[in-house]
Amino acid sequence: MSTITANWKKLLPSGVVVAACIVLPMVMEIGTNILNLMVMLFIFIILSQSWNLMGGYTGQINLGLAAFFGCGVLATHFLWKAEVPIYLAVLAGGVATMVLAVIIGLPTLRLRGVYFAIGTLAFAEVLRIVVGNIFTTWVKMPGSYVATYSLLPRYYLGLVIALIAIAVVYFVTNSKLGLAMVAVRDDEEAAQVTGVNTFKYKVLTLLISAFLAGLGGGVYAFYRLSFYTMSQVFSPLWTFEPVMAVMIGGAGTLLGPIIGSFFLVILSEIFALKLGEAHLIIFGILFILVVLYFPYGLVGSVDQVRQVMARVSRSRLWKAIH
Amino acid sequence: MEDVIQAIASGILVGALYALIAYGLGLIMGIMKFLNVAHGSLLILGGYVSYWIFTLWGINPYLSIPLVIIATFLAGLILYKLTLSPLLKLPDIEMRVANSLLITFGVIYVLDNAMALIWTPNSRSIMASYSGEAINIFGVKLSLTGLCGLGIAILVAVALYFILSKTYLGKHVRAATQDAEAASLCGVNVQRTYLISCGIAVALAGVAGVIVVSSYSITPGGGLSWLLIGIVVMVLAGEGNINAILPAGIILGLVESASIFVVGAPYRQAVALVIFIIVLMFRPQGLFTKKRTDVYYNS
Repeated sequence: MSTITANWKKLLPSGVVVAACIVLPMVMEIGTNILNLMVMLFIFIILSQSWNLMGGYTGQINLGLAAFFGCGVLATHFLWKAEVPIYLAVLAGGVATMVLAVIIGLPTLRLRGVYFAIGTLAFAEVLRIVVGNIFTTWVKMPGSYVATYSLLPRYYLGLVIALIAIAVVYFVTNSKLGLAMVAVRDDEEAAQVTGVNTFKYKVLTLLISAFLAGLGGGVYAFYRLSFYTMSQVFSPLWTFEPVMAVMIGGAGTLLGPIIGSFFLVILSEIFALKLGEAHLIIFGILFILVVLYFPYGLVGSVDQVRQVMARVSRSRLWKAIH
Repeated sequence: MEDVIQAIASGILVGALYALIAYGLGLIMGIMKFLNVAHGSLLILGGYVSYWIFTLWGINPYLSIPLVIIATFLAGLILYKLTLSPLLKLPDIEMRVANSLLITFGVIYVLDNAMALIWTPNSRSIMASYSGEAINIFGVKLSLTGLCGLGIAILVAVALYFILSKTYLGKHVRAATQDAEAASLCGVNVQRTYLISCGIAVALAGVAGVIVVSSYSITPGGGLSWLLIGIVVMVLAGEGNINAILPAGIILGLVESASIFVVGAPYRQAVALVIFIIVLMFRPQGLFTKKRTDVYYNS
């Protein structure tokens, strides 16, 4: 806890933001559009934090995030339909996703590097095909659920789970597990030689990541009552967009996925009004540029710029001018 | 019995197309150690170019192949120059593969949305006069477009074999694959070799796209499933084992058409992916290589 008290100045701005997120909807009327956007933002924060644990901290590119998300949606949707209280249903969705993660993770985590990525993508596609073949009709909630629909509970559930996700990532990465994760990312062989059971830690990280993604799916199931095609929640876009958010924001940082999600959701809304589909092209180009030239994302590039500025201010020319 | 022979025949035809898709992927992966996941989208791009030529000038898709090759070859050069060549600076091969994966994901995003903007998200296909026709040989129906695909796949296999083993370009490619640094010391222009092989790889995707658009249909977002098929074939053949791609593709085609009997057509692709995961786990070097080797070319 000492780190928290020492960093209270750093925590203050985020505390203000969180407090504003909690209090503002209570005291004033907020438009439906903004609330919808906020719920999607929270879902993206949850998903990108989940991916960040595997991709950013552990260095394992998991392209099966859509499978975890979809599993969470599926489990929560049907449990909630069976009149399980929503909070339990969301939790059960997370647990179900962990079970799925064991099934997907045990074979694929033995694969190295890029084949883990392809293996998880293949698993997610298998699930998408199977789910698409099982649920061929419109999946929707009965009318009583629609009649009592209001956005605020969705907003608060999303907010709480996003905060939980951020807290989980914070505490995991500041623990012994976090050290092992970074060791796996930086040099898996060296970590193995020095006695780190890398496979065990990779499975553990995948489980936590899957749990978070499943909770994110639960929020989405609570938010969206009907699904025209059930396979849409297994669509690879649910993998790609969080990956983009993490990479643009900054992989392997706590703040990066939040900034990236904000960028993706809010700016895509602003751009979409003016440019239509073209905003996705802009995001693609931005993503390529970030991966090529700013491997630490926007968060890292702030540091890069700061370093350059410091170098400039130390230089003789700068001193000569002043 | 007739059903079985029919299934085998159509499996071989489909498998040839799968092999054609995997050639480009296998070339880039074998030579430069880049995983080009935009391969599927480039395939769709080739299909759209052919579609455009067909609707604007009424040129038969199989006659438009040279034009498509030129267009996608240029696309490959651009792809290499803009996105892949900066990655060569990375010291670590594994990092290079992972970053190429991420970057080409960005390329998918750009290409798919650009194509949706230009050609609308509707599904397109070329209906030529002979599209639905089939040749009857001893009671086995072979679709004409499928036979064309098989012919082109064999042509590509032979051409690649000769280019890689008999020409100077092939020698340069093999040298750059084995040891890029040593090759450049011996006077091989590694950058140019990479550039040309990337162009050839993407052009092969375009050729596959022509066959896809004339026998199936294309949508801007449809590249992913073709990409997965390409990756499956590449892994079955063994990373960098170019000569094994055609047999690997045909094996996949046969397995798929056999799986229609067992689990039904809707799960066809899922079966292929499950087999892929199993192969990846137990024989990561592929079905055709005895042991793991970095030399991609087996003569």
